[in-house]
Amino acid sequence: MTSELDKSMGDRARTSAYHLDFWPGIVGYVVVLGAVTVLGDLDGTSPWRFLWALLPVLPALWVIRAVVRHVRRIDDYQRGLLLRGLAVGFAAAMIASITIGFLDVAGLDVPLAGWIVYGVGMVGWALAAAVTNR
Amino acid sequence: MKNSLKALREARGWTQGALADRLDVSRQTVNALEKGRYDPSLPLAFRIAHLFERPIEAIFEPDTVPAP
Repeated sequence: MTSELDKSMGDRARTSAYHLDFWPGIVGYVVVLGAVTVLGDLDGTSPWRFLWALLPVLPALWVIRAVVRHVRRIDDYQRGLLLRGLAVGFAAAMIASITIGFLDVAGLDVPLAGWIVYGVGMVGWALAAAVTNR
Repeated sequence: MKNSLKALREARGWTQGALADRLDVSRQTVNALEKGRYDPSLPLAFRIAHLFERPIEAIFEPDTVPAP
């Protein structure tokens, strides 16, 4: 009998399908981000800079599509784990957003507020996933 | 909920991965079932019962028996 830590064929198929969905989005996001940084002239005055700034949303939507398709592929138990992790990340992002909002109202200008909210949400998701997958 | 899934699987010489493929779930899910960390959905419980050719109540045992 082989190790009980073996991956089932179904696991491998689902993982492969997820990678095929997910990585083009991530690579696209990095490429678009690079293009926006180099060519977007976000600090400039061109009206096109707003369109450049919105461009990374397209590959990000692709990544979201990959995650949604993955959620549909996995079984009930794994879906519960994943959605719990996402819920923790969402709650952390909301708390960060509210905190930064109140600090702003109080007169404290928090730089890169959007990125802080994004980072807190992602870290919350990652930590929750690590804890629930133990 | 307690269950005899591990004993039934081992009696057939299957790995967790092999059982996972037969049930169309992940190996992680089989592991969670065997450790009692996850109670299966009704459709999955029926698939398990069908696979091992036993009634559900012969495989799964509730922690507390409901009053009649």
